Amino acid sequence: MSGNGGEHRGIFTIDGELPIQSFPRDITYRPVEEPVWTASEGIYRTIFIEAENSVIAFDTFSTPGGARSYRDAIERLFPNKPVETIVYSHDHLDHTGYAADLNPDAEIVAHELCNNVIEARESDGQLPASETLSGEWTRLEIDGRTLELIYPGPTHGDGNLAVFLPEQALLFMVDTVIPGVGYTFFPDWHLEPYLDNMRRLLSLDWETFVPGHFWSTDRDGFRKNLKYYEEVRTVAEEALVSGIDPMDLDDVRSYAEEKLNAYEDFFRYNEYVGQNLMRYMLQLKTGGWGTEGVTSARTGELSPGSEVTVTR
Amino acid sequence: MTNSTNRGMFQLEESEDYLQEEPGASVDSLADGVHRVTIGDRSSVVLEGPERLVALDSFGTPGRARVYRRILRERFNEKPIETIVYSHDHVDVSGFSSVLADEAEIIADERTARIVEERGLTSQKLPDLTLSTDRAELQRAGRAFVLLHPGPTHGTGNRALYLPDEKILVMCDTLLPNARYGLLPDYHLGNFVSNMRSLGGLEFEQFVPGRYETMTPEQFREGCDYVEAVMETAQEAFAEGLPIWERETLEDYTTDVLGDRFGHLDGFENQVGLTALRAAHHFLMGGWGLEDTPAEGMNVATE
Repeated sequence: MSGNGGEHRGIFTIDGELPIQSFPRDITYRPVEEPVWTASEGIYRTIFIEAENSVIAFDTFSTPGGARSYRDAIERLFPNKPVETIVYSHDHLDHTGYAADLNPDAEIVAHELCNNVIEARESDGQLPASETLSGEWTRLEIDGRTLELIYPGPTHGDGNLAVFLPEQALLFMVDTVIPGVGYTFFPDWHLEPYLDNMRRLLSLDWETFVPGHFWSTDRDGFRKNLKYYEEVRTVAEEALVSGIDPMDLDDVRSYAEEKLNAYEDFFRYNEYVGQNLMRYMLQLKTGGWGTEGVTSARTGELSPGSEVTVTR
Repeated sequence: MTNSTNRGMFQLEESEDYLQEEPGASVDSLADGVHRVTIGDRSSVVLEGPERLVALDSFGTPGRARVYRRILRERFNEKPIETIVYSHDHVDVSGFSSVLADEAEIIADERTARIVEERGLTSQKLPDLTLSTDRAELQRAGRAFVLLHPGPTHGTGNRALYLPDEKILVMCDTLLPNARYGLLPDYHLGNFVSNMRSLGGLEFEQFVPGRYETMTPEQFREGCDYVEAVMETAQEAFAEGLPIWERETLEDYTTDVLGDRFGHLDGFENQVGLTALRAAHHFLMGGWGLEDTPAEGMNVATE
C-alpha cells in the first residue's frame, strides 16, 4: 500500500496518492420497512438489516472512505449492534471492494462464483467470503433474520445474488435493473442470458425493487426497464443491417436517438443511449463474451433450495 | 447455396440480405505460401501447401464465408481447405466454418472450444482438435506453424499464429496499427498488455492483426505502449475523482496527457475518450471475470 497514507488501493497500479479512495461520503438512509433499511450516497445504493444483536450489511460502497462512511452511518443508527455479517451482491470493487474498511472481522457471505473471482483478484481491501453459497436459492438464517439469496443465472458480474425479503415484499439486486437506460456500455453485463434470467425474478412475490444505484422502483418499472433492453437489441440488429459501423459512436448515437426516442424521458438517455446501442451491436457481431455471456438463460421456476443457519 | 439457418446471432427476417451479402475480396502475399485475404474491414491468413490449404477463421457472415471459400478456390487452383484454425471464439471471426469448409478439420484452443460449444451455433463447428498447452507446434497441409496462447487478451482462448521461418506473427483483434480500439470489446485488460508484450519477444518482421494493415515490430510495441498509457491515464483521472462515466471529460483529459505522444495514431481524436472510459471502469470494478485475474480456468458453478 505505497504512497496512499495506508489506504487500500483496490487494483490501482499507479504509484502515489489516490485521493478518491479517502473521500468520505454523505450516506443517507431510511427504513424501507423495519428492520430493513436502505442507504445511499447519491449514486450507489444498498440495504442493511437490523438483526437481534448485530447488523447485516450488504456490500461496502465503492471506496475505503465510502465503506467507513457506511460503517459510521450504521453505527449512528444502531450504536450497540456491530456489523457482524456482510453479504456480497457480486464481485465488483465498486460495490464490494472494501470490507476491510467496513469491518475486517465480519463474516462475509457470497455466491461461490463471486468468491472465485474475488480470491483470484486479490484486490487490496476486498476480503474473500468466509461462507460461500452454491445453487440458485439459499435461505440464510442469521441472528434472527431470514434472507432468501437467489442466483438466477448470469446477469452482471460474477455470482450476482438477488436478495428476496418476503416479509417486506422486497427484492434487492445490484447493477441489473437500474433506473433509466443502461449504464454507459453495459460493463460486464452478460447480455445473452440477461433478460430471461432477470425475468425469472418476477415469479417471486415482491412489490419493491431496490437497485444498487439511485432510486427504488416497482414491478412495472422493473418490467419497463427490461423491455428497454429488448428494444435496444432489436435496434442493434437493425443498425448493423443498415450498415452502421458499431465502432463509430457518433453514427451509432445518431441512429439510437432516432430509433429509441420512445425512451427519451428515461434517466440518462442523452448520455448513454449511444453506448448502450454500441454494446448490443458488438454483442450481436461477436456472439457474446465469455461463458457467462454466451450461455443460455436458465429455465424453470425459482424454488427454495438449501437452508443455511449461521449462528451469531 | 444460401442457408438461412446460418444466421449467427441475428433473428430478424430483414437481416437476411446483410447475412448473405458477398462483398469483394482481395488476396496479397506476405511470404512464400502465406497469404492475407481481406474482405471489407477484416482480414485473415491462409497457408498454402503443395495440395491443400490451412485457413485462419471464416469471416463473420455466411456471405463472407462463401466469398472467402470462392476466392481461395480461384486463387489457389481449387486446393481444398484441409484445416480451419479458430483464432478465437467470436462469431464475426470464426462463426461460419461450416459454410467455409464443412469437411475441414477444426483446430482451436480448448477455452475457445468451450465457448463455441456453449454458444451452440450450427454454423460454428465444434473443434476436432483442441489445444491445451500454451505453445502447439503443428503441421497441416504440408505447412508448419505454431499456435501460441499468451494468456487472456481478447475473446476466449485467442491464439497467435506464428510462422518462425517466415518471421510472421498473426493475432486477431488484439493490437491495432491505430487508436481505433473503441470500448475495447471483450479485452481482458488485467493481463492484456503483459500478455501481448510476451509475444513481442518473438522474432517477427510482420504482425498481422485481424483488421487494418500489417504492422511492424515497432508498431506492435507502440500498440502495447498505447493501451498501457491509456490505462495509466484512466487510473489517474479516476484517482483524482474525475467523473469517469463522462466520455467527453475523459476525452479531454487523455488528449491533454497523451496527445503529444499518441495523437498521430489514426482515430485517436474521436476514440481515445471511449477507450479511456472503458479502461477507467476496469479499475473501478476490478476487472471482469477470471480472465482479468492471475488465475487460469473458467468460472463455473458447482451446481
